[in-house]
Amino acid sequence: MAPDTYAVEVEGIAKRFGKQPALDGVSVRIRRGEVYGLLGPNGAGKTTLIRSLVGLVAPEKGTVTVLGRRMPQLPVLARVGYMTQQAALYPDISAEENVRFFGAIHGRENGVREALEFVDLWDRRKSVVSTLSGGMRTRCSLACALVHKPDLLLLDEPTVGVDPQLRVQLWDGFRKMAAGGTSIVVSSHVMDEAERCDRLGLIRFGKLLAEGTVAEIKTRAGVDRLEDAFLKLSEVSES
Amino acid sequence: MSGRRVGAITKRILQQFRRDHRTLGLLFGAPLVILALLGYLLRGGGDVPRMGVVNLDGGPLGGIVASTLKSSKTVSASSLAQADAEGKLRSGDIAGYVLLPSDFSAKAQQSRLIAPEIHLEGSQPGLSQSILQAVSQSFVGLAGQSGAIQFAARVTFLYGGPSFDTLDYFGAAFIGLVVFFLVFVITAVAFLRERGQGTLERLMASPLRRAEIVLGYMLGFTVLALVQSAEVLAFSLLVLHVHNVGNVALIFLLEALMAIAAVNLGIFLSMFARTEFQAVQFIPLVIVPQLLLAGIIFPISTEPGPLQALSRVLQLTYAVEGLRNIMIKGADLSWSSLQLDLGVVLAFCVLVILAGATTLRRRIA
Repeated sequence: MAPDTYAVEVEGIAKRFGKQPALDGVSVRIRRGEVYGLLGPNGAGKTTLIRSLVGLVAPEKGTVTVLGRRMPQLPVLARVGYMTQQAALYPDISAEENVRFFGAIHGRENGVREALEFVDLWDRRKSVVSTLSGGMRTRCSLACALVHKPDLLLLDEPTVGVDPQLRVQLWDGFRKMAAGGTSIVVSSHVMDEAERCDRLGLIRFGKLLAEGTVAEIKTRAGVDRLEDAFLKLSEVSES
Repeated sequence: MSGRRVGAITKRILQQFRRDHRTLGLLFGAPLVILALLGYLLRGGGDVPRMGVVNLDGGPLGGIVASTLKSSKTVSASSLAQADAEGKLRSGDIAGYVLLPSDFSAKAQQSRLIAPEIHLEGSQPGLSQSILQAVSQSFVGLAGQSGAIQFAARVTFLYGGPSFDTLDYFGAAFIGLVVFFLVFVITAVAFLRERGQGTLERLMASPLRRAEIVLGYMLGFTVLALVQSAEVLAFSLLVLHVHNVGNVALIFLLEALMAIAAVNLGIFLSMFARTEFQAVQFIPLVIVPQLLLAGIIFPISTEPGPLQALSRVLQLTYAVEGLRNIMIKGADLSWSSLQLDLGVVLAFCVLVILAGATTLRRRIA
């Protein structure tokens, strides 16, 4: 495959916070139009990996290439959408104003309605964010991340606090975006979400333990449930 | 009411402070620093107001008055020629001078009238007061020599005038000060909120350049600050009738520069705080010493020497001086002292803009 068919190429990156290694020689390649799931327990390094993709973490070793550009680089970020774990929004302005702001700083202001409809918040667009429920804020935050129609969408636990019905709806949306060529990186520790990814990477203690499609991972661990596969592969790496 | 539950809250508060060394330092360090500074200012043996004595008296009494004044401890008086005294008054080297006319002794002895001329610079009521007091005291000795006497001094003011009061003096400084400090605190807190609510992380993951963030913030808060400046200025001039003989546009220009500096100082200093709580702590740390040293309350010329040097490096000193130059003395852009004041404030603006932009980069990368 030609290198530009990858949306993300991470080569052996390492990062420590103090003495605690957060990433320890991780290499990942994510194809264009692929939905890639990052699985792992709290503190495994998922967020650090995602932050390194947008240049918020400068790795001590290794290289990060996003959409064919060596990071850190600013212009390429206009084509990247990043949804942080915490719903990072301005609480004093409306949902619509938030989405429009994030669109504007990414150089696109006309996708606001589409983005708000995607997360089912168009009817509440005039509501000031501080009056929205937790789940609504998460959805608004998601709308802010995809309003500029990014080629690469990074979602750090996007469905926390979202009800099951809407979660299914959002995932249908993600699949549709991927079919349109958008690459999506999703971190999660919800296994039924993981089942909907094209490929998975299992992270623990800053290392990539295993990588592959859901079926490949289950086969490799010799179990039927993804949860069991994850636990089993974790044990193997520890021994 | 449960003692145990109350105790749990008390204990938790003390636990929080035990780990927050900065707050502890502030709590126990700042009062000592501020009080020590105040003590040094007031008791540190600063200079007394300088004044001149122009003795044209043909008789003996002028000499007595002059030597009484020169030995006074509340002013530092020196004999000057009239032209010299007038020049020093205009340049601000002396806060005033007393002129004893050629018929001073004659009038005192014949018509029992003491009629000196007192010329005051007038822009600092505190100094004027000291001089008036010292001069009237120097005549007490004369009264003893020549019996009951009428005291009829003619007092002139270079700036201000007899109705010039403390509000006129402080008002000029406070117009800029109120804007500077409020804008500083609001910007610092707003910027920290951006950090706390996670939106700064998002901005950093966008194609925004650091300079664009700083500039955008600056413009946004400057709009607010300019409206506030205009409001403060209008209220001071139209409602409080604070003395002003200068150009209102110039006052506004200086105020606007201070506001822009405050916005960027807020951005810059918010990099050194993790929480809004810590940002508020900058008030006693940054603001109070400036308030004491910028010549707002205590004239810089009467501060102890080392503090004068410190005052001379604070931009606020120049901002306050500039506002007073305009409003009290009617300075315009042709005055070299106002050029210096504006220059320093402008340079400070540029400095904090650069500092804000570079610190932002360093903290995020």
